[in-house]
Amino acid sequence: VTPALAHHLIDDVGAMLLFTMILILGAGQLYRAIYAVAAQSVFIGIAGGVLATATGNSDLWVIAGLTIVIKAVALPWLMLRVIARVGIRREIEPVIPISLTLAIAAAIILLSFYLSASLGTVRQAITGNALPVGIALMLLGVLVMVSRRKAVTQMVGLFASENGIFFTAMAVSQGMPLIIEIGVILDVILGALVMGILMLRVRSSLDEDIADLEQLKG
Amino acid sequence: VDGLAPLGVAAARVALLALAAPLVTGIVQKMKATLQSRQGASVVQPYRDLRKLLRKGTVQSDTASAIFRAVPPLVLAATLTAAAMVPVLFLPGAAGGARLPLGDAILLLSLLALARFLLAVGALDAGGAFGGMGASREMTVGVLVEPVLMLVVFSVAAAVGTTELGDIAARRSLAFRAPDLLALFSMMLLLLAETGRIPVDNPDTHLELTMLHEGMLLEHSGPGLGCLVLATHVKQIVIMAFSLAIFFPEGLAQSLAPQAIAIAAGAFCLKIVGLSIFLALVESSYAKLRFFRLPQFLGMGLLCAFMALALRLL
Repeated sequence: VTPALAHHLIDDVGAMLLFTMILILGAGQLYRAIYAVAAQSVFIGIAGGVLATATGNSDLWVIAGLTIVIKAVALPWLMLRVIARVGIRREIEPVIPISLTLAIAAAIILLSFYLSASLGTVRQAITGNALPVGIALMLLGVLVMVSRRKAVTQMVGLFASENGIFFTAMAVSQGMPLIIEIGVILDVILGALVMGILMLRVRSSLDEDIADLEQLKG
Repeated sequence: VDGLAPLGVAAARVALLALAAPLVTGIVQKMKATLQSRQGASVVQPYRDLRKLLRKGTVQSDTASAIFRAVPPLVLAATLTAAAMVPVLFLPGAAGGARLPLGDAILLLSLLALARFLLAVGALDAGGAFGGMGASREMTVGVLVEPVLMLVVFSVAAAVGTTELGDIAARRSLAFRAPDLLALFSMMLLLLAETGRIPVDNPDTHLELTMLHEGMLLEHSGPGLGCLVLATHVKQIVIMAFSLAIFFPEGLAQSLAPQAIAIAAGAFCLKIVGLSIFLALVESSYAKLRFFRLPQFLGMGLLCAFMALALRLL
């Protein structure tokens, strides 16, 4: 793989990542958001594969494989299972209207391009638009977390944010040390497990939704 | 422009698109029927409908004015003029320097917007409740769709350096860059909206809750309705050819040799059938969105187009 081709491919994958992010933001139903974040993780895996062949860093293959297996298959499956078990309403419950979220997302994307343009020297060292795309994914993931009520959607936001960090790390530094990446993935798994167990527990003992916990005062 | 040859070419293009347009609708309907395990009407059914409508007499409401009668031919004319601007079979350089600077993508889109405006005016003029409702809804969708279409055009034009469709098609390299991907997604969403297909509008029904476009046609009858239905078909094929010219210009003939033209015609048919499959699949697998959900759906298109432009320029 020539550097120019890798450059192109990473740009294309970045576009696909942004597109799946828009699908997550615009999704009206829970399972669509989950499928979108799974697709996004697949593209992160593809980016890892591309960078692994381009740089010859074999650690990236491991990370790409782990990402696809865990974030694109296992965790979405877990989330879908939790939804089925808990029997929550399948609509996304946004705190602010989804169209407003999309407008904020546009502003965030502009902001992240502006930010990365101000980091001129860093931008030269890496492949194309990877840095602004990574920053945008990270911030948009946070946007999903703060603008949605359900624990599952907040988890989806966390995954998207995580994907953004992964993408930035892979493209900027040509891969972090393997041990750190594995640590990050473990964190994500832990987060998902906590979310799943908490939701099932809360449901079984209180018959309440996570959002209702905000009413609790000590 | 010297000579009548370019004008003849444009007229031939309009005639070709107008003749093929009902067939595309027929193909989409047939595919939808097949996907839904129905037998469905024949692919030439839209032609039969048009022939029937053109032979019928006209009935119109007492409150309708001359504007109402003028609307169908004007809408058809605007749509057909727009059809003269999309490259269908060959690139502008193919006719040996004789090129017709008819207009660019912006003029094409504004002609379609003009048709939309006239249609809404006609619907309001007839004084029916459904016409007013349909007009209101159609204009709301128009507000959401048209700026995004412009953004898509700009994101492509920024790379090519021109808004003329023929030149965009000619200079576009095969390499599909990242912004193009996003612009393409946006265009696919818009294609559904502009052809009045299911997540946005339902072309098969006159049920009051679901219709956008059909609501505006309710008061029209006979040849006038025929004109408007034909205009709908033509608008569909124009939007399809428009997105093909922007994103997949492969196969357009470089010269006017019969062989090249034949290959171009085959390629165009294949691409149109591909888009028809896309439309039929989406229509069969999605439910119509609630009207107030549309800003959300089309907002995704806006965001995609916006990011395409951002990736291109920043």
